[in-house]
Amino acid sequence: MSTNTLQNDSRPARRHMGLRVSRALSNTAIYTLLIIISIIWLIPFVCILLQSFRVENTHQVGYVIPQKWGLDNYVRLFQTDFPRWYLNTFISALITAVLQTIIVLCMSYTLSRFRFKMRKPLMRLMLILGMFPGMLTMIILYRVLKDLGMTQENSVPGLILVYVASSGMGYYVSKGFFDTIPKSLDEAARVDGATRFQVLKKIILPLSKPIVIYTILTAFMGPWGDFVFARYIAFGTSKGMNVAVGLYNWLNKDQISKFYTMFCAGGVLVAVPVTILFMCLQKYYVEGVTGGAVKG
Amino acid sequence: MKQYTDLEYLKLSKGQRLLYRIAGFFCSIPKKIGGLFVALWNLIKTAGSAIGKEVSDIWSTFVNGDWKTRLSFLVMGFGNLARGQILRGLLFLLFEIVFIAYMILAGGYWLSMLPSLGKVGPTEEYNIIFDTYVTTYNDNSFKILLYGVLTIFFIIAFIYTWRVNVKQNQMAEKILATGKKLKSGKDDLRSLVDDQFHKTLLSLPLTGILIFTVLPIVFMVLVAFTNYDGTHDGYYNNLFTWVGLDNFNTMLNWQSAGGGQSYAATFGEVLSWTLMWAFFATFTNYFLGMFVAMAINKKGIKLKKVWRTVLVLTIAIPQFISLLYVSKMFAKNGIINGFLMNMGWIQQALPFWEDPTWARITVILINIWIGIPYLMLITTGILMNIPQDLYESARIDGANAWQQYTKITLPYMLFVTGPYLLTSFTGNMNNFNVIYLLTGGAPTNPDASSAAGAVGYTDLLITWLFKITTGAESQYYLASVVGILVFVVVALISLVVYNVLPSIKNEEDFQ
Amino acid sequence: MASVKLTDVKKVYDNKVTAVHDFNLEIADKEFVVFVGPSGCGKSTTLRMIAGLEDISGGTIEIDGEVVNDLQPKDRDIAMVFQNYALYPHMTVYDNIAFSLRLKKMPEDEIYEKVTNAAEILGITEYLTRKPRALSGGQRQRVAIGRAMVRNAKVFLMDEPLSNLDAKLRNQMRAEIILLRQKLDTTFVYVTHDQTEAMTLGDRIVIMRDGIIEQVGTPTEVFEMPRNIFVAEFIGAPKMNLLETELVKEGDRWFVTPFGAKIEVTGGKTDELTRKNVCPGSIMLGVRPEHMVLTANGGEGSIPCKLEVNEMMGSELHLHVYTEDGTRLIARVPTINLTMEQRNQLVYGAQLYLTFEGKVMHFFDKESQLNLIYG
Repeated sequence: MSTNTLQNDSRPARRHMGLRVSRALSNTAIYTLLIIISIIWLIPFVCILLQSFRVENTHQVGYVIPQKWGLDNYVRLFQTDFPRWYLNTFISALITAVLQTIIVLCMSYTLSRFRFKMRKPLMRLMLILGMFPGMLTMIILYRVLKDLGMTQENSVPGLILVYVASSGMGYYVSKGFFDTIPKSLDEAARVDGATRFQVLKKIILPLSKPIVIYTILTAFMGPWGDFVFARYIAFGTSKGMNVAVGLYNWLNKDQISKFYTMFCAGGVLVAVPVTILFMCLQKYYVEGVTGGAVKG
Repeated sequence: MKQYTDLEYLKLSKGQRLLYRIAGFFCSIPKKIGGLFVALWNLIKTAGSAIGKEVSDIWSTFVNGDWKTRLSFLVMGFGNLARGQILRGLLFLLFEIVFIAYMILAGGYWLSMLPSLGKVGPTEEYNIIFDTYVTTYNDNSFKILLYGVLTIFFIIAFIYTWRVNVKQNQMAEKILATGKKLKSGKDDLRSLVDDQFHKTLLSLPLTGILIFTVLPIVFMVLVAFTNYDGTHDGYYNNLFTWVGLDNFNTMLNWQSAGGGQSYAATFGEVLSWTLMWAFFATFTNYFLGMFVAMAINKKGIKLKKVWRTVLVLTIAIPQFISLLYVSKMFAKNGIINGFLMNMGWIQQALPFWEDPTWARITVILINIWIGIPYLMLITTGILMNIPQDLYESARIDGANAWQQYTKITLPYMLFVTGPYLLTSFTGNMNNFNVIYLLTGGAPTNPDASSAAGAVGYTDLLITWLFKITTGAESQYYLASVVGILVFVVVALISLVVYNVLPSIKNEEDFQ
Repeated sequence: MASVKLTDVKKVYDNKVTAVHDFNLEIADKEFVVFVGPSGCGKSTTLRMIAGLEDISGGTIEIDGEVVNDLQPKDRDIAMVFQNYALYPHMTVYDNIAFSLRLKKMPEDEIYEKVTNAAEILGITEYLTRKPRALSGGQRQRVAIGRAMVRNAKVFLMDEPLSNLDAKLRNQMRAEIILLRQKLDTTFVYVTHDQTEAMTLGDRIVIMRDGIIEQVGTPTEVFEMPRNIFVAEFIGAPKMNLLETELVKEGDRWFVTPFGAKIEVTGGKTDELTRKNVCPGSIMLGVRPEHMVLTANGGEGSIPCKLEVNEMMGSELHLHVYTEDGTRLIARVPTINLTMEQRNQLVYGAQLYLTFEGKVMHFFDKESQLNLIYG
């Protein structure tokens, strides 16, 4: 009897207690989880950074903290073709970013704002084209570009052409953005006496800063980290490679023992500028990614 | 099958409902296929009647038109010139001249060679003066195929332009008959930044897509019907030629060809791993990403920005660096194995990349590492969009955290991200970077068809395709067949999903 | 300042849905015409065709005698106010109003003059340097009107300009639009779904349904002589009561017999019925709620019914009642005519007797729904 009353009495109190305790518990669990996640996600980058300063030997080792520290790996990078790769990558990424942004914006703005007869068929066609593996087209593009003298040492113009040419297909995200700008703004401007071009210039573009920045950022990061196309176009010629292909080759079975730490140093040099850029523009990137996924 | 009314359906138990819906799905398949054929037939019919209408329209334009119009049938743009639309007229005329010149100078040749893809291969002749054999290169199958296709494109463009020319003459005549004025060249130019602005905007992107995507795809599809490969490169060594469906026969044949498995068996294995990979890669990322997003966004969790930034950081770093590095971390002599051995937890290195099953699981795990940051970002945005009052009303109705997740969060997320999941699935099927940079397809499958390059256990169709083209034999025709099959698989999956998903169907709903 | 003429204007969408059927209307110079109808009736589409924002599938639209079918909106010399205001979010109020003038390459000092002038009229001078997002709904609406005002356009188009405002503000803005109209003295085409707006603003009202014009007329005409049941129900709030009844002719006198009551048709309607040679028989009888009268007890001329809901509106009561066969009727009864005691008896289920005068009746054909007199 007495235990029964006790239970009854304590129940409301325990309920209140329970809520607080369980919230504290679950928060602790989540913090622990987040800390573990952060460590897992950061470890590889910390490792790369540390290994790039390791000078006692150049091959892979089973420990993280270098026994001898130094900048030798970075210095030696400049005795290889690495600066050339870096320049190739930088130039192609920069020009691609500009051209691709223009093309993507043209495409997505048109598909968002104009209703013309071929609009739906066009979108359907691009959907279907997108289902073909893009790599397949490289076989022919390589040969055509080779005939035009835009491969191997002169890979940069060829690469830019390949990156930019089909970029109209990637219109989804920015079209989704344009769709969110009310159409009545266009209409008001047109009634106010603006041509379609003026509508774009004076109304839509000033409102589209986030998506323009997002497009530039992704258009830059694509070529910056591209491997497949660069691999095709440079085809074995060191001078025509970009950083991805060049560094990849350093990790070949027969090269890795000589170049492992230099790979890390090169990786750091490639990652740092783009990471800084990315962190500054993170807000716009997040906006673009989130919007794009919802719109599909 | 018995059809239930809504009220009857509501009375069924959960299991019965599920059965009913599954049965309904399967029963609808024949109808859907039938519908497909009906749609196809209607398409043919409308296309046929459209062509018929065009032809009769052209005919009546000719019969009823004045001499200016009639002459325009032969000399494009003549009507425009005669009626004072100088700019349009000149453009039409110029196009016609260029077309005719091209067809005489080059197009005719390419077209005539297209059926054979070249007759004379490179020949070697003894040159007395230099005392060596000198190779003379003759026909170029590659160029014949490429320019042949281009010429066909050009002809289609010409026919279309010619039709536009005829139509414009008809219109111009009609407009003049009502006493109105025609648009001048100046008006035309002005309309390019106004009511025809979309044409201006699209011209550049579409040209790029036409030349760098459509043309190559048509070309590569055609390559699947040739024997184009390293030893038949069409110019430097041997010509290549049409072989009909032989390549598809080879690829889909269960007979072993030249040792090892048959192509079909290898293809089947790679395909099934590709689908398996795409499934796990998509859904592990999706759910874990959502989970992480929910953890970060939970009320009362502090430093939200820090956690998010740590994850976003990994997106910024180019994948080839992180993937290559991580791949080496898991190598036999890599940091992971080194660490585990130093701690004395294992005696021998773990076979992360050497054992097929280990390799596959490791690849999927590392892909989670790659993918979670993206999914965290995406799902964060959507989670915040879920109306809070839904949760409030659910809590008042007595739902606990888990019920809130399964009854509100998950359905909402699945609805909103349906299209994304589809693209993500097909994207993962073609996820070249992760596989190639991590394993390069290794470990190699010793049973795989020896003739199709060194296929590994983690190879996807796309990396296999890459290996075929860059391998010693460069079997482009085989790569092309694989490419087409990839397309077919992706298209089928998309088609089915599109028909099932509610949120894709109407894009205007969002506007 | 121009007339607008629509001849057989048609709108067919790509999916073969016809939004507007052969629309014929002449709008005189300086006239204020209101398009009104339920949502989806094609009123906005018609307005947008006048503006040039929708293609015209058939027929012609003339502004000031010139066919504008193929003209771009910017070349039509029109001004338009949108439902959601459509203010350019990245521009200040001043820039918003000045936008069209700048496109015309007007000198800046002239622009300044015009914009400040318009701002003063609309009472938004102090907000000129603000961005739209810092304004309230009513202020945004004023800016939108200001933007249209400075244009001095031939035709002033308004697409549901008040429907995003709350009820109080809407009444206020409605009055201001009437004032504005007097100041601008130009041709107005105004679209709304709200019949009160239509009645108070329009010189003429165009009532539309499913892409078809049901009636065109002055507010008095559409209220007193509705062409059919749809118009009769649409104009006036609460909507007109409809009773299925017999129309009986006895000599020169006409009677209706709703629910056992027998009420004589009086006023000019008797002559009209005779003149139009209307056949007696089963018809739909329309009586506006404000014409329903509460009588003390049953008699020959009254309809017995039971009270369902009693809405106290302040100066009047809205009594929702139902008759013996379940037909629902509404009566608007002035509060002032009732004693407190009488009002207290108006509770759920109370037995009431309603009647109405003979001169307020509307007669509709049951089949065609047309007004037997004015249809």
